[in-house]
Amino acid sequence: MTACIEIALKQSLGDAEASSLVKKADSYFKIHIESARTIHMLTIESDLKTQDLERIRQEIFTNPVTQVSSLSPLKIDFHWCIWIGLRPGVKDNPGATAIEAVEDLLGRSFGPDEGIYTSKRYCLSGESLTRSQVETLAKELLSNPIIQQFKIFSKSDWHPETGANVKPARVILDHTPCFDFIDIDSDQTLARISDQRNLALNPRDIPVIRQYFLDPEVAAQRQAVGLSGPTDVELEYISQARSDHCNHNTFNGIFRYTDILTREETIEHSLFKTYIQQPTLALKEKKDWVVSVLWDNAGVGAFDEHNNYVITGETHNSPSNMEAYGGAITGIVGVYRDPMGTGLGSKLFMGSFGFCVGDVNYDGPLKPPLHPRRLLNGVIEGVRDGGNKSGVPTTFGQTLFDPGYMGKSLVFVTALGIMPKQVKGRPSHEKKTSPGDLIIMSGGRVGKDGIHGVTASSESYSENTPAGHVQIGDPYTQKKMHDFLLECRDEGLIRFITDNGGGGLSSSIGESAMISNGCVVYLDKVPLKYPGLDMWEIWVSESQERMTIAIDPKDLDRFMSLSRQHAVESTVIGEYTDTGKLHITFQGKTCAYVDMDLLDKGFPAWEFDAVWLPPAVRGLTEPVIRKPEDFNGLMTAMLARPNICSKEWILRQYDHEVQGGSVIKPLVGVNRNIPSDASVTRPVLTGNKGLAFSQTLLPWYSKIDAYHMMTCTIDEAVRRLIAVGGSMDHLGGVDNFCWPDIGYDEKTNPDGRFKAAQLVRACRALKDACMAYEIPLLSGKDSMYVDGHLEGAFGERIKVSALETVQFSATSVVEDILHCQTLEPKSAGDFVYVAGITADELGGSEYYDLFGKIGANVPQVNFGANRVLYRAVEKAMDLEMPASCHAVGRGGLGVHLALMTMAGRLGMEIDLSQVPAAAKTLSDDALLFSESAGRLILTVPPDRKPVFDKLAKGLPFRCVGGVTDAHDRLKITGVRNDIIVDLPCADLDKAFNKLFGEMI
Amino acid sequence: MTQVKALILTGFGLNCDHETALAFELAGARPYRVHINSLVDGTVNLADFHILAFGGGFSWGDDHGAGVIQAVKLKNHIGKDLLGFVDAGKLIIGICNGFQALVNTGLLPGLDKDYTRRSVAITYNDCGNFRDQWVHLTANSESPCVFTKGMEKADFPVRHGEGKFIAEPDVLTALQANGQVVFQYADATGSPAGGAFPFNPNGSLHDIAGICDPTGNIFGLMPHPEAYNHVTNHPDWPRRKQQLKGEGQAFGEQETIGIRLFQNGVDHIRERFF
Repeated sequence: MTACIEIALKQSLGDAEASSLVKKADSYFKIHIESARTIHMLTIESDLKTQDLERIRQEIFTNPVTQVSSLSPLKIDFHWCIWIGLRPGVKDNPGATAIEAVEDLLGRSFGPDEGIYTSKRYCLSGESLTRSQVETLAKELLSNPIIQQFKIFSKSDWHPETGANVKPARVILDHTPCFDFIDIDSDQTLARISDQRNLALNPRDIPVIRQYFLDPEVAAQRQAVGLSGPTDVELEYISQARSDHCNHNTFNGIFRYTDILTREETIEHSLFKTYIQQPTLALKEKKDWVVSVLWDNAGVGAFDEHNNYVITGETHNSPSNMEAYGGAITGIVGVYRDPMGTGLGSKLFMGSFGFCVGDVNYDGPLKPPLHPRRLLNGVIEGVRDGGNKSGVPTTFGQTLFDPGYMGKSLVFVTALGIMPKQVKGRPSHEKKTSPGDLIIMSGGRVGKDGIHGVTASSESYSENTPAGHVQIGDPYTQKKMHDFLLECRDEGLIRFITDNGGGGLSSSIGESAMISNGCVVYLDKVPLKYPGLDMWEIWVSESQERMTIAIDPKDLDRFMSLSRQHAVESTVIGEYTDTGKLHITFQGKTCAYVDMDLLDKGFPAWEFDAVWLPPAVRGLTEPVIRKPEDFNGLMTAMLARPNICSKEWILRQYDHEVQGGSVIKPLVGVNRNIPSDASVTRPVLTGNKGLAFSQTLLPWYSKIDAYHMMTCTIDEAVRRLIAVGGSMDHLGGVDNFCWPDIGYDEKTNPDGRFKAAQLVRACRALKDACMAYEIPLLSGKDSMYVDGHLEGAFGERIKVSALETVQFSATSVVEDILHCQTLEPKSAGDFVYVAGITADELGGSEYYDLFGKIGANVPQVNFGANRVLYRAVEKAMDLEMPASCHAVGRGGLGVHLALMTMAGRLGMEIDLSQVPAAAKTLSDDALLFSESAGRLILTVPPDRKPVFDKLAKGLPFRCVGGVTDAHDRLKITGVRNDIIVDLPCADLDKAFNKLFGEMI
Repeated sequence: MTQVKALILTGFGLNCDHETALAFELAGARPYRVHINSLVDGTVNLADFHILAFGGGFSWGDDHGAGVIQAVKLKNHIGKDLLGFVDAGKLIIGICNGFQALVNTGLLPGLDKDYTRRSVAITYNDCGNFRDQWVHLTANSESPCVFTKGMEKADFPVRHGEGKFIAEPDVLTALQANGQVVFQYADATGSPAGGAFPFNPNGSLHDIAGICDPTGNIFGLMPHPEAYNHVTNHPDWPRRKQQLKGEGQAFGEQETIGIRLFQNGVDHIRERFF
């Protein structure tokens, strides 16, 4: 029997969701809705008696103060009604909690044929509304066909008794689970099957795979367990393990690098080994705070005497690009499992985001899967719900706009955890699986969702990209699991733990079984969301919120009892062995039996040609721009630019204080609306140590040279840390590469070789910067293929590639948080200093971009000089000399002086002729807007000036002006001693908030 | 010495339990983080404690109204224990999601000592979004609330999507008449915000940020006092430090107003029960 409860807010109360719909319909589509109301619906498929239905309606689902509800359609008038529901199989989180609540209240359990499904309908009033307008709203604003379905009712379509007539969105597969043998009679056959089944096997791997299965010895062993040729389960396992996402084939590939100008020719054998692993291992030797790197789900560094911190960063680009909310929430919830699965498990204490999207006001002919505006809203909300509901503060975040990200948007998510150094006398960062350990899967259940996620993210977006890999993360289930696993850890029950992310069980068990050297897995034991999944699907499904754990059989009872207490589902699904075999069975029958070392059987490295065309060869030159006359106008135009302006509305939606350790917040200043250089958090509340965290994205410099993009990005990340009180003694890094396709193809990727050379150069820069600043790479990930083929006005498909992008995250341990500093000037009478040299480095700058120019003089980092300078600033901060400190970044001194003025609400008077400059000839616009690396702005109180000057002696620190309370203006005197900028705070504010100021 | 024992609920998506426990500890109590299921299955007995804290978080994902399912579950399984706890004159504090749960159980506002009736609600913010922001609060000196004794004002962060306090006019009048309105959102000068955003961050009627029951023993508030457990939690701390420095004073680690709120509760138990 199916029943439906409809719930709405009382008419007298404001319906914020409906108001937002009215507003967006008007501003996005010029569709005028007079009024709207939202109705929440619960479709209940169960044989509950009417009195029980009434009871749950009243006691659980209706708030007597605010809501009205009914078991029949609510009589709310409309001209049009849009019903939106999830497609069967899409994760319905409120549906699941509804079942939990009903079961608890009524004291009965739902059977497999029962369920509760949530949906909504919107009642729209407006005489002038047409069906096609309403369809536009349903399609372009309220639903995404990948996960949702909709129905539209006019007044005359509507039947007052049946209403929206919603059917339960139950998945019925009607399929008997099985496994298949795959024909491998020739390379061509296997290649064809790979295409048909979406295995994404690399053509080079195919002969190796065939060779293995055709090996007589292998065949004989397989015969003994009842297998002949490879099964679909086995090929899926190989496909997942060999995917670029899991195996990092690009970073482990061979690059033939040629510099077209110098004729330099180099063979790079593995970018990973040469530029990431080697320097990190060398630095690990030098830095005793580096605890564990390069093998686990996240890197581990020492925090204090008793605790280590854990960090990793991820992207979730492809899914977010198609279903922004689902992709982003899955991304953040997914990256949060990495610290949970690092060592014996850590407690999450902070996260961050980075969004790169196209122009939110784009109105050109290209049709991305989601308009950038809609996409941005979706990813903001996804990371918000995922982060907030995980109880983890989001202390830092950046949002960038560039047309290249319309091909594929980027969603970066970063997670940090904290764990005691010792758990029951064992080092917490060590873990292993041993023969006899039980394999346990905890958390969510397995469904069809997320199948082939990793292979899809190893491809460019096209109209054929399967949508089945889009999921909706479930932070509630994961939070319960997080609390449960930490208790298990503290009781010493966990021997090994890892998360089920890309590749699902195939990856988590496949990799962890390499330690014990074998496993046997009973796939029929894996709890499923609904019956009918084939074995390979169970094995590779990426259904979320699951961890794989190894425990000693003697601990099973205790583990299960804690699991029940926390209302987390845990199931023994196999056992680790030392047989050397990955052995998978289903109802007693073997469906996979391969050697654990199969993946070492000589799979060939990927190969790339990389051809570097230096900027001059590409015809890049400096634009010719004569001195502007209206610097006030210029300053306000710069502040209003999308990549500079305020994004307060985004940051405010993120809980950045939960867990009670907030020291330096993402927004600072008197009005608490200026983005901070970095965040500082106390992960251990009983101490005064802090963890400073910054992130930087400067993809624009890749337009000139990705080498300098990388060095500038890292330099800024370090500089931001120094500005809040971080130390050069402890710098940890996480690199997240997002790169367009680098595989050359004359037709489909003609500039692949250049992009490959950019990658090589970025990696070289990564090593140079990390060695210079002594930054071990605690973690890192790469996400290739950030390209899209977008449909244009005439049905053509145009390839749009993202800029070569690296997000660099940096950490530092702050010994005493009371020495931390913020960027706003704090007292009138303080002196303003600029540290670091400004050069004519406007190439790739925001200033040039204002005029649609790129230029050639990209900022170059002088590591040696900066190191000395940063050390000096660090010392000054230790001695509490500066009253504020700010890293100069995108937009140069002009923009950053304005940010400080707005933050401090005090006047600033600056003389550009005093700015330390590389040449005396630098023009006012160059001094204001050059983006030279290595610069900071500090304010110093008069009584500390003498000591500060002494400390800064011989270094490029110059007093350039002062802070005043005589006015609240930013006054800048140019090199010719004329006042070129004179703007009150109010004007700066207005410009800074022009674009997004109305968003709350 | 006899310990003041504080029980902090955990599990099912609650998430401020660690810092709430720390706040109680700094206030001199002994905190116990207890899973809701341990109260439900009787492993832990509520009567063994003096203070019960419903902390912040997203219980059951806030899926069917913030704090709703938590309230139903607790009422259903330990409703009597809760009423007994109240009868014994013990203290209950509900913060954010905990406040939402308290109004959904009916423990607040407890008008006419009816602790089962839902007569007020906390609903979606007028701004339409989840919002993290520090707010100024003005405390009602006429209120019987145990936790805010001697307090005039306080700054705490709010972090919620559903924080708008609403009730029928007669309920609001009764709350005011009984001194049950404890905290109101205020402007920088300490006067009630008069509904002005962002001082009143959610559109709460009468700027209400926190209420108590008629006895003052049960207290619910949207802002998070436990998130102000250290001087460096306050957004203005670097500026205050600089100011003090300018005046030749040290910026020390004095007790925060957040901890004082918990301290009031602990002191009250000491006076009453020991």
